[in-house]
Amino acid sequence: MKNRRKFIAALATTVPFLATAATNTKKKQEVFKSCPSNVTGPMSDRFGQVIVTDQDKKKSWFYEELIHDKLVLVSFTSIRGEKHYPIIDNLVKVQDMLEDRLGKDVTMLTITTNPTKDSPEDLKKLADSKGAKWQFITGEPDDIRNLLLAFGIKGSISGLSWVGNEKTGRWMTKASRQHPLFIAEAVARLSTGKDHKPFLVDLRSV
Amino acid sequence: MKKRRSFLKKGALALTVPAIFGAGNANAQLCRAQGNRGSLTEPDSPPVRSYYEPVFLPNKLLPVDPANLVPPADPNRHQRFGDFQPQKYYEQHITEGFWNYHTDLSNIPSNPGGGTGSVAWMFSGSDQGPTTPGPTLVAKYGEPVFVRRYNDLPTAENVLMPVGYPAITTHLHNAHTASESDGYPMDFAMSGQFWDHHYGMLLARNDPRETLSSLWYHDHMIDFTATNVYAGLSGMAIFYDEYDTGDENDGQGLALPGNSQFGSDGNGNPNGYDISLILHDVRFDPNGTPTYNVFDTDGHLGDLITVNRTVEPFMNVERRRYRFRIYDGGPSRFYEIALSDGKSFHILTNDGNMLQNPVEATSVILGPANRQDVIIDFSSYSAGDTVEFVNLMEQVNGQGPTGRRLEGPDRMKVMQFRIKELAGTDNSMPMNEGVHLRDLPGINLSEVVKEREFVFDHDMGLWTVNGKFMDPTIVSADPKQGTAEIWNFKNAGTSWAHPCHVHFEEFQVIEWNGRKPTGVLNSRKDVATLGPNDHAKVFYRFDDFVGRFIIHCHNNVHEDNAMMLRWDITPG
Repeated sequence: MKNRRKFIAALATTVPFLATAATNTKKKQEVFKSCPSNVTGPMSDRFGQVIVTDQDKKKSWFYEELIHDKLVLVSFTSIRGEKHYPIIDNLVKVQDMLEDRLGKDVTMLTITTNPTKDSPEDLKKLADSKGAKWQFITGEPDDIRNLLLAFGIKGSISGLSWVGNEKTGRWMTKASRQHPLFIAEAVARLSTGKDHKPFLVDLRSV
Repeated sequence: MKKRRSFLKKGALALTVPAIFGAGNANAQLCRAQGNRGSLTEPDSPPVRSYYEPVFLPNKLLPVDPANLVPPADPNRHQRFGDFQPQKYYEQHITEGFWNYHTDLSNIPSNPGGGTGSVAWMFSGSDQGPTTPGPTLVAKYGEPVFVRRYNDLPTAENVLMPVGYPAITTHLHNAHTASESDGYPMDFAMSGQFWDHHYGMLLARNDPRETLSSLWYHDHMIDFTATNVYAGLSGMAIFYDEYDTGDENDGQGLALPGNSQFGSDGNGNPNGYDISLILHDVRFDPNGTPTYNVFDTDGHLGDLITVNRTVEPFMNVERRRYRFRIYDGGPSRFYEIALSDGKSFHILTNDGNMLQNPVEATSVILGPANRQDVIIDFSSYSAGDTVEFVNLMEQVNGQGPTGRRLEGPDRMKVMQFRIKELAGTDNSMPMNEGVHLRDLPGINLSEVVKEREFVFDHDMGLWTVNGKFMDPTIVSADPKQGTAEIWNFKNAGTSWAHPCHVHFEEFQVIEWNGRKPTGVLNSRKDVATLGPNDHAKVFYRFDDFVGRFIIHCHNNVHEDNAMMLRWDITPG
């Protein structure tokens, strides 16, 4: 058990960060917040019941309105992060490949990794400057941190995108700077019904 | 595990409460959705009785009449089909069904299997029906094999399995197989399709020192390898030759403990003495369904060890020598397997390839996809005794082992051996370190035409090789057929491990962290299990086929999260 104690002690060092995250927000919270969702899906118990705001200040219940029953492509960056590790230009190419599916059966989201700084106005400026027509998400820092935790995103810069079909519960990652064809292909592969395509370019051996 | 978890919970409470509530805001509470869990907060599997279930031992894959293959095998789809005309044909259907991991899980009233088992993806091809692990492919050098594998899984809309993707490509790890039969990650068959595999059963460079012994087949679907294998898509393959015949009574070669029959009587009594045991650590939800957190890209840890997909089973053994082929089926757990009484045994192989001489040891260390054969002599026990396989390797997340050893009651249960009287005679060769097994092919550094480096690292939330994410259109190395190269595998991480696997050829270690290999490391291998900051310098030859292959981390969760590169053998 000695070894485990050491490990637990190491864990303790992460607590101040969590504490900061909690106390930075002025919002008063319930002691036990159960985060119930009005809808259920394969991953519905993973995402807290939180309201997020997009670049047009439109508010949405995150899971219920943006993820549930949808095919989603979720990426993560911040105004500052984008300067150091740009991903939006590449995702705009994916957007162009998705054509008319975007906003219908496919939802693209970029969640800020810096919710304390990035306002809807900042995100709108970023999206407009790149020609990105999808939703850029910010919100209460606590809530956004919850979502980042749910997606396993650490740090202020992330090169990872999640592609998920919440009808079937199949989720996978692609590098946000992967060739856009392969990100679009992941969307096509995870799609169901008439939009399903096993691949966009057949790379199989003859 | 229970103890540790309750301790952790207490610890977490004691530590977090003052920090969060200390600011005077007695109502502050981090909202964390119930299902938002990490490696330390996953719920335990439902309770099961240890050493209750007899171990499952798969039967042999049974050949089919090639005349019944519709359409027939197409020689034009395979390199050198005519050179290695198949002598045995097989068909396997991959289906979804229910598998009895443990009676206590199968009998949970809410289990969707209705008492028959937990949901699983399985292989057919033996007289046992669909199983996981699939039927054992028993093959012999010089007898080429053709396997047609059908994807009969439901489509993604209809699968019951909560993880994985129902497209399949099967890799025979690490047979000397042409690219188009290798289970390349992009060579997948969707539901309703099949893929043909031609296994030439040839020795690399026609060199008997390149013989492989213990192999396994498993799914390799791009982005979904970890979850598809976790769902059940793995099985064993055994290659025999005239020196390692699988028959201890034929007076030929090594006379290792043999097995002509495979399988068992269903009550824990194996049909032979050459037994394959594949380890997968699985976590089950309250309904008894395998559960898996896809959002944890560090790796997956199960809290129950399964042996041949039976949770903590028992097996009856006679007072004699047995050959156990022990496989780490992953996806992310490392093992140090020992007998609970600390008794020593002899290690015969590394990654399923014969050593020059057996190594006497009290444990085997395995990373995902590593295989080691051991000879255990139970004759010193008395009938009625029991002894267990236990896991001594501590691991608390998917990144790799902590480097600490579990002791006493903390050791993880793997399986129990129940010793019975000897039923016949033990004609297998007594084992000691002086026995000559197989020579290693020489390392001739003057043949080397190129040296390459592959650095395994983590970047931008994903796993990388040489700073790159998997892209099947980029050829990251292009050795020429008929040449030799030195490859350097480096782990840039300080706290994680990467079992680095290269398809098609076996390597020999020249240096590991600057030292010459000794013991079991002095061998031919296909998975270099890199600990933090490790550097393995290895020797390769590339022969017999051209085409595309891959190098990847065999912590399959890392692999699925971009830690893979394509490399090609180009015409010399």
